[in-house]
Amino acid sequence: MGALAHYLEDEGIPTTQISLIREHTRIIRPPRALWVPFELGRPLGAPGNPAFQRRVLLAALELLDAPEGPLLVDFPEEVPEDAAGGDKVLEGWSCPVSFAPESREETHMERLQSAFKREIAELCPWYDLNLERQDRTAVVEFGPESARELLESFAAGETMVIPKTNLSLATALRLAAQDLKSFYFEAAIARPGSASPTSGEFNRWFWQETAGGRILKAVKERCLKEEDESLRKTGALLLIPLDVS
Amino acid sequence: MARLERMMEPMKSHLAKLPLPSFENQPWVPGKPLAGRRISLISTAGLQRRGDRPFEGMSGDYRMIPDDIKARDLVMTHISTNFDRTGFQQDWNLVFPIDRLRELAAEGIIGSVAAYHYSFMGATDPTEMEPVARNLASLLKGDGVDGTLLVPV
Repeated sequence: MGALAHYLEDEGIPTTQISLIREHTRIIRPPRALWVPFELGRPLGAPGNPAFQRRVLLAALELLDAPEGPLLVDFPEEVPEDAAGGDKVLEGWSCPVSFAPESREETHMERLQSAFKREIAELCPWYDLNLERQDRTAVVEFGPESARELLESFAAGETMVIPKTNLSLATALRLAAQDLKSFYFEAAIARPGSASPTSGEFNRWFWQETAGGRILKAVKERCLKEEDESLRKTGALLLIPLDVS
Repeated sequence: MARLERMMEPMKSHLAKLPLPSFENQPWVPGKPLAGRRISLISTAGLQRRGDRPFEGMSGDYRMIPDDIKARDLVMTHISTNFDRTGFQQDWNLVFPIDRLRELAAEGIIGSVAAYHYSFMGATDPTEMEPVARNLASLLKGDGVDGTLLVPV
């Protein structure tokens, strides 16, 4: 980010920027930067809080009026308590979806696939409702059924037919994994009685309590055993956050 | 929180050890007051128009985002899984504050909003990004932009 600002300014374009990691910005020294104490992924601080976002935006833009630099200024406010980030204590939110019990006459992978299929089926109406109300989804390439088919087939060790001819298998798996998480989140927040979880609460639920999370861990395990370097890299780095075991 | 000292391992070490560029010169372009400036947003969140090519790696490429884009048409295909996306799912302004920028323009606090905004993949090697960034500068000038806000993720 800071390097980009440096190159643009060097070409005559005035830049200001938000900084999420102060230590990086101090080293790169871009012309103007506002450091904010927010969670990675939330540079404007708080979703659904236009007044707070405006203060962050203005603080960054007003650096363009400074007479000289480089400048690294700290934003003076913490994020509001009701939009706090992901490393708070993980309590107070659990997904109210109650999944049907698993059959006991199946192999481990068959049980996982059955549970995964039931989760998708139970969450779909809520996802559809959220999409209808918000007129927006973060799902990009893979709807829930096509994500399920790709991910569970790969996790089960099947020979893969790439579902989209313009995507490599590694890219398809990464996008399907991301789309799956987007689907779970948007379905979960649509349920009655569900306040939006913090990122930490959602991650704990998705990775520790859902079959979808377990499927992605199985996808990672197979990726790591593949000869294809892009699949191994995807498995090692791009499917599961570093802080999820 | 994005305070390195408060982060959990292994994310803390991962970020602390990222190779960073350092520059000998410190460019600084003076300009007119904010109320007269035309502002473009430049994101490193891997944002793209729905239907555009997903980001696939760190080759320094970018996607163009027209100013009249609707929230339902802006998606994120950043390759990293180590940052929160649920906030963006709830409110695109959290990452791409276009509505806030339009409000500032309507109030005369900034001069205007650019016709085009741009998005890169963050954490790309600066040597890959440099030629692309220098070319992007000419596009920004062609749009009359004299102020950019760079927004990380």
